[in-house]
Amino acid sequence: MCDDHKKYDWSRREFLEASGFGLFLAALAGCGRAPVQNAFGYIQQPEGAVPGGTDWIATVCGACPAGCGVLAKNRDGRPIKLEGNPQHPLSQGGLCAAGQAAVLGLYDSQRLQSPLIAGKPAAWDRVDNEIRARLKDIRARGGAVRFLGETVIGPTKRAMIRRFLEGETSRPGIEGQAADEGAHWKGFSDARHVIYDSLSASALLDAHRLTHGVRLLPQYRLGEADVIVGLDADFMGAWISPVAFTADYRRGREPEGQPPRMSYHVQFESRMSLTGACADRRLAIPPECLGTLLNHLAVRLAEKASVPLEKIDLGRPPVPAADLDRLADRLWQARGRSVVLCGSQDVKIQVSANFVNHLLDAYGATILLDRPSHVKQGDDRRLSALVREIREGKVAALFIAGANPVYELPEGGELKSLLRRIPLTVSFGSHLDETAAMARYVCPESHFLESWGDAEPAAGVASVAQPALRPLGDTRPLIESLAAWMDRPQSAYELVRRHWEESIFPRRAKGKDEKADTFEAFWEDAAARGCAEFEAEAPAVKEFAREAVQLGETAPEQPIDNLTLLLYPTVALQDGRHALNPWLQELPDPVSKVTWDNYASLSRATAAGLGVEDGDVIRIACGEGEEKNVVLELPALIQPGQHDRVVAVALGYGRRGTERFAKLAPDWIEARPLVGPNGLVGTNAAPCLAWEGETLRYRRNGVTLTKTGEKRPLACTQQHHEIAVPPRLATPGAGRRPMIEEVALSAYRAHPQPGGEPTGEHGAGLWPDDHPYAGKRWGMVIDLARCTGCSACVVACQAENNVPVVGRDEVRRSREMHWLRIDRYYSEAADGVDTAHQPMLCHHCENAPCENVCPVLATVHSEEGLNQQVYNRCVGTRYCANNCPYKVRRFNWFRYARDDRRENLALNPDVTVRSRGVMEKCSFCAQRIQEARLEAKRLDRELRDGEIQPACQQSCPAQAIAFGDLNDPKSRVARLAASSRYYQVLSELNIRPAVGYLRRVRNRDAGEGGMQHG
Amino acid sequence: MSRPIVTVVLVVGLAFALLALGFGAGSVHLPANRQDYEPVQPLAFSHRLHAGELNIACLHCHGAAEKSRHAGIPAASTCMNCHKLVTAPMAAVRAEDELAQKEKRQPRRIVSPELQKLYDSLGLSLNEKRELAPDPRKPLRPIPWIKVYSLPDFAYFDHRAHVRVGVACEKCHGAVETMERVRQIGDLSMGWCVNCHRTADREGINGAQVHASTDCDICHH
Repeated sequence: MCDDHKKYDWSRREFLEASGFGLFLAALAGCGRAPVQNAFGYIQQPEGAVPGGTDWIATVCGACPAGCGVLAKNRDGRPIKLEGNPQHPLSQGGLCAAGQAAVLGLYDSQRLQSPLIAGKPAAWDRVDNEIRARLKDIRARGGAVRFLGETVIGPTKRAMIRRFLEGETSRPGIEGQAADEGAHWKGFSDARHVIYDSLSASALLDAHRLTHGVRLLPQYRLGEADVIVGLDADFMGAWISPVAFTADYRRGREPEGQPPRMSYHVQFESRMSLTGACADRRLAIPPECLGTLLNHLAVRLAEKASVPLEKIDLGRPPVPAADLDRLADRLWQARGRSVVLCGSQDVKIQVSANFVNHLLDAYGATILLDRPSHVKQGDDRRLSALVREIREGKVAALFIAGANPVYELPEGGELKSLLRRIPLTVSFGSHLDETAAMARYVCPESHFLESWGDAEPAAGVASVAQPALRPLGDTRPLIESLAAWMDRPQSAYELVRRHWEESIFPRRAKGKDEKADTFEAFWEDAAARGCAEFEAEAPAVKEFAREAVQLGETAPEQPIDNLTLLLYPTVALQDGRHALNPWLQELPDPVSKVTWDNYASLSRATAAGLGVEDGDVIRIACGEGEEKNVVLELPALIQPGQHDRVVAVALGYGRRGTERFAKLAPDWIEARPLVGPNGLVGTNAAPCLAWEGETLRYRRNGVTLTKTGEKRPLACTQQHHEIAVPPRLATPGAGRRPMIEEVALSAYRAHPQPGGEPTGEHGAGLWPDDHPYAGKRWGMVIDLARCTGCSACVVACQAENNVPVVGRDEVRRSREMHWLRIDRYYSEAADGVDTAHQPMLCHHCENAPCENVCPVLATVHSEEGLNQQVYNRCVGTRYCANNCPYKVRRFNWFRYARDDRRENLALNPDVTVRSRGVMEKCSFCAQRIQEARLEAKRLDRELRDGEIQPACQQSCPAQAIAFGDLNDPKSRVARLAASSRYYQVLSELNIRPAVGYLRRVRNRDAGEGGMQHG
Repeated sequence: MSRPIVTVVLVVGLAFALLALGFGAGSVHLPANRQDYEPVQPLAFSHRLHAGELNIACLHCHGAAEKSRHAGIPAASTCMNCHKLVTAPMAAVRAEDELAQKEKRQPRRIVSPELQKLYDSLGLSLNEKRELAPDPRKPLRPIPWIKVYSLPDFAYFDHRAHVRVGVACEKCHGAVETMERVRQIGDLSMGWCVNCHRTADREGINGAQVHASTDCDICHH
């Protein structure tokens, strides 16, 4: 043995000496200089440009056609954040999750960088020449030219498309210019602009043509309504214009307002929607019973209004008759101040809804017809006519803008091959999506942040959309392309400006300073404010046509096993247009909390009947007659509150291009696939849409479900970061901790000091009182009566704070990084289930449990009450996360930041990008506090209340979040914290959080429905 | 392996390491400490001449320091306020004048090689009349200055608050007016910042009471 030892001529000591010395040498050699960094100044300094300064550019959000006003935050020439424009009359400063995420879409590296001919990059000159030559040919032969696209809210764009298709009546010339300069563009003899919305509201518009003589989408004024009835209309989630609806809805629900107001909202629906979760009363109804329900309501109201009705058989109402009586009473008492919103795609049902609104005197009060909304203009009949024409080979040229029919329509598969047969197909898609891939020419439209444009989301409310940067690729706005093909090459700026000068300026709202009444002043003002009001032409609305109403068609009662498939858009992906945005894919659905997938929601009873649990893959077969040839295979999800005869599936998944997310997550040994068996994120449910008559229906009767036996677990965040103590760990005898506190309106009115424990002091504490807060003390109050759970704040926080995306697999391991999450709670209620949402973020506790377990002082308290997380000190013990009662700390298990040069332009330069192994959490947007503080110091003034808005507060369409100085009794947050509705979550721990909530108020009588969730 | 060989290898290693370190550096620093960093800039701009001899105020060119986080590098167009006319050092102009007098001709405009770099960045050339004019063949190119004062990405310094309360530029940047080439004087370590904050909070700046916080989130967010 001893001899063996001598084989090694190095002793252990020698080895350690040498390696220690080697290490020392390596360290010494590392003491060189950090790499050379360059600093570039401007060549020509633009006027007003300040290096490192922030510019705010007023523009219009292009994430959907709702046309909300936004301000783009530009740092050193690139937009890094979008915020709602508080001056915009419709969106009122709010912005939804999709709008917040649009800035990431700008830097999407898969956006087309140049036009394509037959899939190959080409130069614009060549594309223009070829298209012009083909159009000339088509015009000579009188071929049919069709322009297919979604709703166009830009007046200039609409006018340009019309000019392109129909020709110029006279050369549009401005005074002083020759009127007949150049030849007229003659347009085409057979041209049509076919507008269709993949999330169609066609029936609603058609119904108004029948009842009021004009096909229009009215403007709803929910703020004026005292009673709101929603019928399968998810108006605060994804129906028409959710941000504007939410902002307006909030106006009618201010229990502490002057005078106090609290509208009564009843929602009838078959699946569980975000809007249903907000309702004071929510009733699950069978999917085909909307018409029956409306008939019952109409008959009751007609009786009260003494409107004679023919005797009809109404059938059995889908909800208890007593409930309907009560609702009719309430509606009738509030006539002129009530409204019925119906999301059905059946024209007859929509006509009945109009009749009810007519009986309630809603028109002219809560529903405006003279200032209609332009957000949905689609006409399904025209679409179905176009599909017929394409099938018959009658279309010579097809232009497709802002639509993806191959993906979105039930006959998408067929269209795919049919498009190839059209002589000229031009797509304006910004990505090589399902439709663009089939088009011969792809002329990518610039991103809305890259181009001039305009919007008129409602009659008389117009906005100029200003670019925030130059196009990143060789792309072009649609109107420039059309101008080029009309041989009138003009920049988008000139086109928009000229249209405004000719069409909008003459109708401006007058009454201002006469001298400043020039176009230049008007334009400057519109561009700076982001909006302008003008006199819109009122549509020729006729008296309500009573004869259009045909009540009495009652759906036959269906057997319990006749399942209906409901297809719905999600808040994040909508119709699939945002499927390529990883922020939105990772945003938990507000109701189900599932990320990165679509699924088949089933009620508990239906799931039990099938013998499936969450994550079991089921096969959904639907189709004409007995064939059932359309099949979807999706994991199941049990959804409380859903009607037993419904299976609900989200649209917008299974998009081409989502295969890129297959490599999103960290590459490690236990990684699991991020995409489904089809290689994509989710499954496209659009083949299950159905044409019924000539409207596109989002439901399918008589589907069959079978269990496949496979399992595909969903990445659902609901059970992650749970703050309820598991029973096995709870202190014996301790009651359930109430997280969400609610109060019925009657109880609140009778006794403004509602139930629940008093919050705050709990006697002597464990910790010394060593935080004097001599200056400011930052705090936040979240009003649960306002919060709808729409999740705009989650994405706003992600955009502001460089929160990384981790991918489906990591989400399944509870490793999502969102600093702000929205907890959803269900509770038993008289009508089924009550849903409540609660934004949950770092509470910046005074006696923070995280602070005293950190061994390296990486999380410490600031003198202004912020619980600071110091990334560079953090060694990753994760003690703090374990000790956090709110479970809001997030750990970087991997280096989640990616080296995508393009995408990383969306990073906020004011916030550190965290590396692997450190803890992070909400900082109350410390960078914004610091910025405001420095700016106040520079201008030598005090900080003003409301000047600092964290990203979550800024984006909230319902203005549910208030932030400010709790030490200043006059600040909004301090006033709210003194409200009788104020409470703190887990206050019994005596950790004295700086975040508090206002109890949710439901407009119901005490004892009606649940009071406390947990 | 015998001991002498090991020793020789280690000594050679040490020599190499010291040699590597010695090149381009006067003293030994920990990684990322750039004290005394004095890189050669692409254009030999002299702060001694401009700020010292000509007595131009710092904020004349670095005006953003008053209103932004960055003091900013002046745009090439800012230099042109003077260098439209001043194209060469006085000595060179005088020499040309004398030469012209001797040769009995009009003095020609002289452009110094360093200022030529500025004109190149602006895409300017001397035309046939020896005037500076835009040259379409020349692309516009910003001057790739080398950053001297550089903070790590997780630390955020803001000039405006410091300028506002009257912290003199030389407090952190030293006597720039004596430097031909700018040299980093402090080590920009956290202690260096915090010590000053503590003193300022205690003693004020120029006799005025200030609040210089030492909270982490002031600089790290």
